[in-house]
Amino acid sequence: MENLISKKDLLEAADISYGQLYRWKRKNLIPENWFIRKSTFTGQETFFPKEDILQRIEKIKNLKDDLSLDQLADMFSPSPTITSLSAEELTKRNIVSPTALEMYSNHYGVSYTFSFDQLLTLYLLDTLLQTGEMNRSEGMELLQILQNHSNEIKGKESELIFIRKMGVSFFILSPAPAELLVESQTKIIAHYKLNQCIEELKLKIS
Amino acid sequence: MEKTTERNISISGSGTASGGDYHQVKVNGSAHINGDIQCETFKCNGSSHIEGNITTKTAKINGSAHIEGNMDAAEMTINGSTDIDGDLHCKELKVQGSSSVKGDLKGEEIIIRGSASIKGNVSGDEVDVKGQVKISGDCEAESFNARGNFKINGLLNAGNIDVELLRLCEAKEIGGENIVVKKNTDSSGFKKLIKFFIGQQTDQLTADVIEGDHMYLEYTHAKIVRGSTIEIGPGCVIDRIEYKQSLELDENAKVGAQEKI
Repeated sequence: MENLISKKDLLEAADISYGQLYRWKRKNLIPENWFIRKSTFTGQETFFPKEDILQRIEKIKNLKDDLSLDQLADMFSPSPTITSLSAEELTKRNIVSPTALEMYSNHYGVSYTFSFDQLLTLYLLDTLLQTGEMNRSEGMELLQILQNHSNEIKGKESELIFIRKMGVSFFILSPAPAELLVESQTKIIAHYKLNQCIEELKLKIS
Repeated sequence: MEKTTERNISISGSGTASGGDYHQVKVNGSAHINGDIQCETFKCNGSSHIEGNITTKTAKINGSAHIEGNMDAAEMTINGSTDIDGDLHCKELKVQGSSSVKGDLKGEEIIIRGSASIKGNVSGDEVDVKGQVKISGDCEAESFNARGNFKINGLLNAGNIDVELLRLCEAKEIGGENIVVKKNTDSSGFKKLIKFFIGQQTDQLTADVIEGDHMYLEYTHAKIVRGSTIEIGPGCVIDRIEYKQSLELDENAKVGAQEKI
């Protein structure tokens, strides 16, 4: 079971009030399924996935002076905010590297504007390339799997997993949060929550 | 959508019409409409039955209406009775008669002066109840004002909650910034009349959990109350209170345990 934090402990750890927590829930800044109800000796208590909620609250606190709560909600929602961006803008604003863009064009053909889904693919490709853990041919595999399953991972709490064992690598896409147990020689190179990547990407392009 | 020709439906007496794109739909007798309607104004003075969805700018129902689909309106006034089998989306909703929604109710300003029952969730900026409301799901609003009776099976979550109790009010959980619950002090003839017909039921709020920053509670029965500054008035029965800054207790309140965190 994943690490949980009770509401009372959360308020103390994050230094927020009940009112703030309820307001953020109302504004959809905190997803409904993070509120986990459990019975305890004092009756019903609400728990949250510890890492996720603390990270989220930290982000809300940092950004709430610059953005309105509605803008924040847009950022956290898994649905895209913007419709498209031009290739020129992508490189000019340094959102993705030219290398990633070139690989993308080799796979899909040259395009001048990118939809949000395409941007996400590009962003994932670029991030993994930047880590230095993924080579170009593996990058092509990544483009392939994202293309094949784009509809199955949309709007869910999907995850992208990149595994290598003795030089053989492969990607896994999971439409629901996954916990992985692997053999000793196997290396999990990347385990991305796509919703988190979407947030990062939105922050980058906004 | 651009309309090439403006079409109206006007039914006086009894009639049937098919759905479609209209400018004005007016029913003065009884009407049966098959299909979805899109229009600027929808007015029903008699009774109408719609087998489909309605999308309109303004809707006024003075008689009775049954909508089998969803209703989407910028402004809606219900003076008679309305049943909606789907969701109701409405910027400004005023219910002066009675209405029931089987889906969710979403709006900005929701004013209920009669009675309303919602099977799904309710969300709006302002929810104002002077009458009776039953919500089977959650209720979310920036401000929730009630001078009457409410029953919420889920969570009542609002920035400002201002309640004047009438008979037995209920919510499973209540959360917000400012929460004020008071007993109705109005002793006008109208209230005496209600009491005469319905019986001498006590005014009371029942909830499992109430959490907020600042609250004043009267005649409230709860298992747990948690907050920052809490004032407990007369008639309260609370099993446990957890507070951060201050707690004031009325001598006529029954409190099991209290803890400062």
